[in-house]
Amino acid sequence: MIEVLQSGTSTTIQDAGRIGQRGRGIPASGAADKLNFALANYMVGNSWDVPVLECTLGGLHLRIHEDTIMAIAGAEMWAQVNGQNVKNFTAFPVLKGDILTLSFARTGVRAYIAIAGGFRAQPMMGSVSTYSLAGLGGIDGRALRIGDKLSAQTARKPAIVKIPKGYTPYLSTHVILRALPGPEFSALSADSRRHLFISPFFATPQTDRMGSRLRGDKIVMAKPYSMTSSPLLPGTLQAPPDGQPILAMVDGHCTGGYARALQVIRADLWLMGQIGPETQISFRRCMEHEAAQTLHYRNAFYGRLMPGFKF
Amino acid sequence: MTKPLLPAPAIQPYGDAAVLLSYDVKGYSSAANDAVLALAAHFKSQSGWTDIVSGYDSVMATFDPSVMRLGAAVNRFQLAANDVQSLPHAPQEIIDIPVHYGGENGPDMGTIMASAGLSDKAVIDAHASMTYRVCMMGFVPGFAFLSPPPKPLHHPRHETPRLSVPKGSVGIAGWQTGIYGLSSPGGWQIIGRTEIDIFDARRSPPFYMKAGDSLRFVPVKP
Repeated sequence: MIEVLQSGTSTTIQDAGRIGQRGRGIPASGAADKLNFALANYMVGNSWDVPVLECTLGGLHLRIHEDTIMAIAGAEMWAQVNGQNVKNFTAFPVLKGDILTLSFARTGVRAYIAIAGGFRAQPMMGSVSTYSLAGLGGIDGRALRIGDKLSAQTARKPAIVKIPKGYTPYLSTHVILRALPGPEFSALSADSRRHLFISPFFATPQTDRMGSRLRGDKIVMAKPYSMTSSPLLPGTLQAPPDGQPILAMVDGHCTGGYARALQVIRADLWLMGQIGPETQISFRRCMEHEAAQTLHYRNAFYGRLMPGFKF
Repeated sequence: MTKPLLPAPAIQPYGDAAVLLSYDVKGYSSAANDAVLALAAHFKSQSGWTDIVSGYDSVMATFDPSVMRLGAAVNRFQLAANDVQSLPHAPQEIIDIPVHYGGENGPDMGTIMASAGLSDKAVIDAHASMTYRVCMMGFVPGFAFLSPPPKPLHHPRHETPRLSVPKGSVGIAGWQTGIYGLSSPGGWQIIGRTEIDIFDARRSPPFYMKAGDSLRFVPVKP
């Protein structure tokens, strides 16, 4: 058993997501940064897709009530066990009575805490991922609270597994996302079409798992534009009338009524999980064949390490 | 009666893992909605799509690019669109939704009465007089977007959305009417509320209706 002493800014249980429900208005949710989520599981001998804790911005304190193995991937939060530093991307044993603390995120915003066997939670529609807007998954469909008691599934083969050289992702405070023109890209003003790919944007404090409002050059339509509500995907950059673009994230709405200016390529979606307030964001124009090749290569590379893993 | 003619749809990639088909119709078109619902049902019967989302006049499907190429996905959309007239219509049910109109359940009833120039009874009668089509579900779980109510009831959204609209609220936005399946922020003009849970994850099935169903509002006597 694991007891939550401090729940941090927002910590939720996440897995690989609730796939196939968007048509009914339910986003996939799941780990916002799929790669670091999978690597956290890998290090403790789990299959890549079992439930972990996703800690946003830091501040999570846990008391461990049984001996096991844990690992942290993703944002650097200066984790400690009983006051001794533990490194990200290196699994570590914990003993009954130990206290694991995560400080404030220094680089990146989301850390993934895996436990041998995976965290236990009630699956809903095929996933335990927490989607707090609708109260789905996790613990009563909400973020962790002080006093919550978590448990792990029995591990088949708990192990400390080293990540081979070259597989650890590098996180930066400047996130560069490759993107393809979205369905309404051509309805943007000529200036806006140019600015999208050359201007820096910054995530405002209005940034969460649903989406991120960006600050930067205004992105506007060539002429007043009205749209009926239409399908929307994570990784779509929307351009509302006020000119401040919104990047849809893992818990983002399934339909929207704003122009879809850009779509981040599948291979780069995981990077959006490390966007927090004041993260600098640049969009780089991508070609369809580059998107396909990158994805193919990345899937093959990480699939060798974690069978079945796909971006 | 002849079927209203539809323009040829635009079919385009939506990123590197989805295809989008949209009909360029201004406002609501029941023909376009018929077509996208038939296409959505058709894609559901095919393998290879991970998510299928239909809107009022557009339908999108996502796929795994390691299984299907983008070009092949676009072609499958093109083939389906060519045959859209012959696709079977999705089965539909007629659903009655009891609604408490006006008062604290419908804080914007006065706004609609004033803009329509109707009494509250006339607004209720007009709104409950029609059989609506459930055109799409979403943007959040259980939000039902319906076909247009009678014209006098059309009214723009609030300029500043309310921070919270109670679950079950029935509202109007432009030519749309709909039901909030969850409490959420929102800018629709609220004229009533139903006690039916449109979405309940613990119920089986969790959704009270699906896109393509027909729906009638039944006023609850105060």
